[in-house]
Amino acid sequence: MGDGASAARDYAIETRDMGVRYSLRFTKKTSIRRSFARLLHPERGERSFWALRDVSFRVDPGQSLGVIGPNGAGKSTLLQVLAGIIQPSEGVVEVHGHVSTLLHLQAGFDQDLSGRGNIHLAGALLGIDHRLMEEREESIVEFADIGAFIDAPLRTYSSGMRAKLGFSIATAVDPDILLLDEVLQTGDEAFREKSQGRIREVLTAAKAVVLVSHDMSWITDFCNRAILLEKGRIVADGSPEEVVALHVEKSEKRRTIRRAVMEDMRTGKREPKRRRKIIEAATQGSSGKGASGRGASGGGGSRTGTDEGPC
Amino acid sequence: MQTATEAPSSFRSSALRPGPLGLIREASGEILRRRRLIRHLMDADIKRKGADTILGNVWWVLDPVIQMGAYLILLTVIFQRSTPDFPLFLFAAILPWKWFASSISGAVNTVVRQERLIKQVQFPKIVLPVSALVAEILNFAFGVLLMLLILFLAFPAHATINVLWLPVIAVVQFVFTLGLALIVSAVNVFYRDVGILMGHLIRLWFFLSPTLWSFDSTVGRFGAIEAALGETGVAILRYNPFAILLTAYRDVVYGRVDLAGTGFTPGQSPELVQLGILFLISVGMVLLGTIIFKRLEPAFAKVL
Repeated sequence: MGDGASAARDYAIETRDMGVRYSLRFTKKTSIRRSFARLLHPERGERSFWALRDVSFRVDPGQSLGVIGPNGAGKSTLLQVLAGIIQPSEGVVEVHGHVSTLLHLQAGFDQDLSGRGNIHLAGALLGIDHRLMEEREESIVEFADIGAFIDAPLRTYSSGMRAKLGFSIATAVDPDILLLDEVLQTGDEAFREKSQGRIREVLTAAKAVVLVSHDMSWITDFCNRAILLEKGRIVADGSPEEVVALHVEKSEKRRTIRRAVMEDMRTGKREPKRRRKIIEAATQGSSGKGASGRGASGGGGSRTGTDEGPC
Repeated sequence: MQTATEAPSSFRSSALRPGPLGLIREASGEILRRRRLIRHLMDADIKRKGADTILGNVWWVLDPVIQMGAYLILLTVIFQRSTPDFPLFLFAAILPWKWFASSISGAVNTVVRQERLIKQVQFPKIVLPVSALVAEILNFAFGVLLMLLILFLAFPAHATINVLWLPVIAVVQFVFTLGLALIVSAVNVFYRDVGILMGHLIRLWFFLSPTLWSFDSTVGRFGAIEAALGETGVAILRYNPFAILLTAYRDVVYGRVDLAGTGFTPGQSPELVQLGILFLISVGMVLLGTIIFKRLEPAFAKVL
């Protein structure tokens, strides 16, 4: 699709049939010896895992999209793709506008630079023009409110001070598109209150927002649309209230099933009849779309360490 | 709302990757646009090395001097070697070698060390090895100043106008190092073995390169060396990139040891043809290294 490159876009984010595959061949512990073993036994190798599959959606300017789903559903991977950190293995992602992620509150910090040095390092990492960063420096310092420590090397900071500085930097520059992973509980009580206000500000200022949260009230308060991800696929897309209701219902069901299994494990005897009864009771009430009774084990078992929350 | 950036703000990403030429264009654009990021990372790198030491960056100068002193004792006292003006002879080769060794061992882990960052922020990863190498240039420059001081004050008999060749030789070395650093830093993400292996390879490379010896100073024994290594062995010894580079450094700073092994001829111009060929090969390595790095880059965030 080479056309329309200069035409005005009427959307901020678009994904089409997007999928992300993780190759399990290269996990952290790959060694050359293992790779040779794999060369010799190719049938044992080449295991891969789709963290996202067939994901298509559009976010228009002015929209804020909530992404919910059980652990390991691919929410964080989705944000990583939208931020450009991970390239899709199939399909296309288009993002129009400057993206900021609050994924990286403290990720770019350098222990030996001062607070000020870190402000500029973070700005350079995010690709923000240095003049703009110099302009904002004072307001960042002021918001972080860590006193004389701002000129001391970061390794002398307490974790609270780090969090405050990280938050101030991350929210200092108004992005067109804001990607938000979980809501950030940082610092002491007073700072938390101040930061909640700032998040609201940034949320309303951004052209488009994608918000991942386990706190359903954030989804219903801030989003005007929501998608439900399960095992890397979109299973519901609609108004936040509907999607949240469906998600709550589904997780309730999962919890009931898990409890039944746990009960079996604890008593040490397997009572398949009783378990089936419980599951049936749980499934009966559901008539929502896409409710195909998947995820009996909580949906989180298949991922291997690729989806730890970044924050 | 202001959206001034040093990085492209909109993007389209798909499974398709540009071809080799596109990758090289992309990489050079990234390095140019992100000069400031490179500078900040370099700053951090320098601060990290100076932190928790009393002498701080004085170590830049002390390090090669102490290393030279150790080899001086080893070779003159223990092995009873007598090369005229041995300290200068050693320093002229150890200094650039140290630059290379610390550049590579620093660059190998740059990508791996920034694991957290790579998973959470989108930025061109190529700035990581590049900034590590740029920081090392500074280090080397201080060493060269010290070397010139030693040359002019302690061994003025060796000094000639040919020291002006130094920057030219250094450029060739830098390009060579950059090519190698790009390759090893990217591959190390997938196979950490590379980092470990490089440490040992570099040590072996040190002894096989004319740092503690030179092709001139081994004149009397060269027949024995040839017998031991065979023809290909000698060719590898002679045409290994660092044989060419270190001989060039020594030519312009120290000069040459006489055939008798007791006198010397002062600084002279380096073997330009060899340097030129090495430069071309190095440029090829940088292009290849860039392509390899850029091809592997999308997988970094997934593998780390």
